[in-house]
Formats: sequence, structure tokens, C-alpha cells
Amino acid sequence: MNAIPAKSADSLQISTPTDTTLVLTRTFHAPRRLVWEAMFTPDRMRRWMLPPPGLTMTVCKCEPRVGGALEVAWKSDEADPVMTLRGTFTEVVLQERAIHTETMALGSGQTIGSLLEKHEFAEHGGVTVMTITQTYGSKEDRDGACASGMDQGMEACYQQLDALLAKPA
Amino acid sequence: MVLDRSPRLDLVFHALAHPARRAIIRQLSGGERNLSELAAPLKMTFPAATKHVRVLEQAKLVRRRVDGRQHFCRLEAAPLKEATLWTESFRQHWEARFEALDSLLDEMKSEEPARVRRH
Repeated sequence: MNAIPAKSADSLQISTPTDTTLVLTRTFHAPRRLVWEAMFTPDRMRRWMLPPPGLTMTVCKCEPRVGGALEVAWKSDEADPVMTLRGTFTEVVLQERAIHTETMALGSGQTIGSLLEKHEFAEHGGVTVMTITQTYGSKEDRDGACASGMDQGMEACYQQLDALLAKPA
Repeated sequence: MVLDRSPRLDLVFHALAHPARRAIIRQLSGGERNLSELAAPLKMTFPAATKHVRVLEQAKLVRRRVDGRQHFCRLEAAPLKEATLWTESFRQHWEARFEALDSLLDEMKSEEPARVRRH
């Protein structure tokens, strides 16, 4: 028997405590050791860092240590890379917290947004609460970055709808 | 794909980014109110309250109607709906990622006993 996921308790909380920050909080039914590994190991990251529609991840590098690099690149039918994400880890407490810079750029090199991302992991009895705090340079940057997630979000909606419609009645 | 800069949404979010203006919206969700009715519970001067109403008007969240010396305000729902769609889409994007993470973690948990044996 499969239990229905406890959506209400575990579901994603999004808040905007200041004009330049966005905080995402989500509960995972796994020890933080595993959540950490899933978040910062390239082979694992490829599984959950869902690319924007039409893009394929080509590069995934992640070195969760102070000064370590974060590098992700995507290609499309038209360009390789079409988009890149580059950053550096500035603070790392193993399995507890990690802070890295992050700059998104187009294949041409034109920067489309920068932010500081902090990940915090708290475990209670094999259940981990992960909190991601994104800090942007300005309110406009924060709102702009979120708006870019819109297409991807819509795509996720459509995929869910597709899956739902594909199920026999 | 590239940043969707929406000046209209910027106005809406700016308008919503103040407790007094959110209080005004809550009041107006109960129906049309005149300016004095809106100002009263805000514990602020009438000009200050009017200024907040003006910000909401600029974002097209509130429409004002003048009847004699009375200014009546009512809520315009469309921009709010757009703002909700925007935040909901951002949420969908992250939820999709985290759901993928859930499945990955389930797999990793089932790999665990094998891993422990190796040590």
C-alpha cells in the first residue's frame, strides 16, 4: 500500500522576508547526509536539477568546500552552451550549511542574474528540513529571476497535466 | 526563457509590499469603501492613507470613483490574479525539482544497506 504523500506538512514554503531575499523551505524523508549528497554531488544533481524546457544539461561540476567551484551548463538545439551557471562556495559546514555565489549567463556570456545562495540542513529523526535562502542584488533582480522561473514552472504544470491525461480513466 | 521583466507586475508587487496597502486590499475585498472608511483602521493621517491608495491605483489594483465630495474605492481583481499566477509558477518549478529530489532520495535510501556492507 502506498501512502499518499503528506503534502500539507512537507510541502514547499516560499517566503520573501526582505525585498532582496527569497526563502524556500522543504522537508525530505531522508537523513541530511543523503540530502546533502543529493544536493551537491554532480551525478545526483543531474537527476533533480530539471532543465528548462528544450534544454539539456551538459556540464555539472560541484565542489562543496570553501573556494570550490559550482558550474552547470545547458545546451539547446540552437546553442551550446545556451545558458551557464557559475559560482564559488564561500562557506561550507559539512552536511549542515553551505553558501555559494551564483551567476547565470547566456551562451554569449551576457550575465542575466547573480545571487548568493545559502543552504541549511536540519535533521530530526531521519527527516531533514532544508532551507534555501537566495539573496539578490536588488528587489528588481529578485523579481526578475523569479519571473524567469515562470516558463519552467508552466512547463512542469503541463508535464503533470500530460501525465494525468495519459492515465486511463 | 530569458528574464521576463514585467513592469506591470513590478507595480503590483511594489504595491503589495506594504502592510497598510495589504490592509486596504483586505478591506476592499469586502466591497466598495470611501477614503475615510479606509483610513480609519490604519491609524494614519488621511493624506498618508490617500498616498497608499494612490500606489494601489497606479498598480491598477484599486479603482477610484468620485461621487460629489466622496471618493469611493473598489478592488480590481485581475492584476492580483496575475501576481498569484506568477508566484504559483515559481512554486511549481521548485516543487517539480524537489519531487525529483524525493524520488532520488528514496533510491539513495534503498542503496544504503549495500553501501554500509562495503565498509
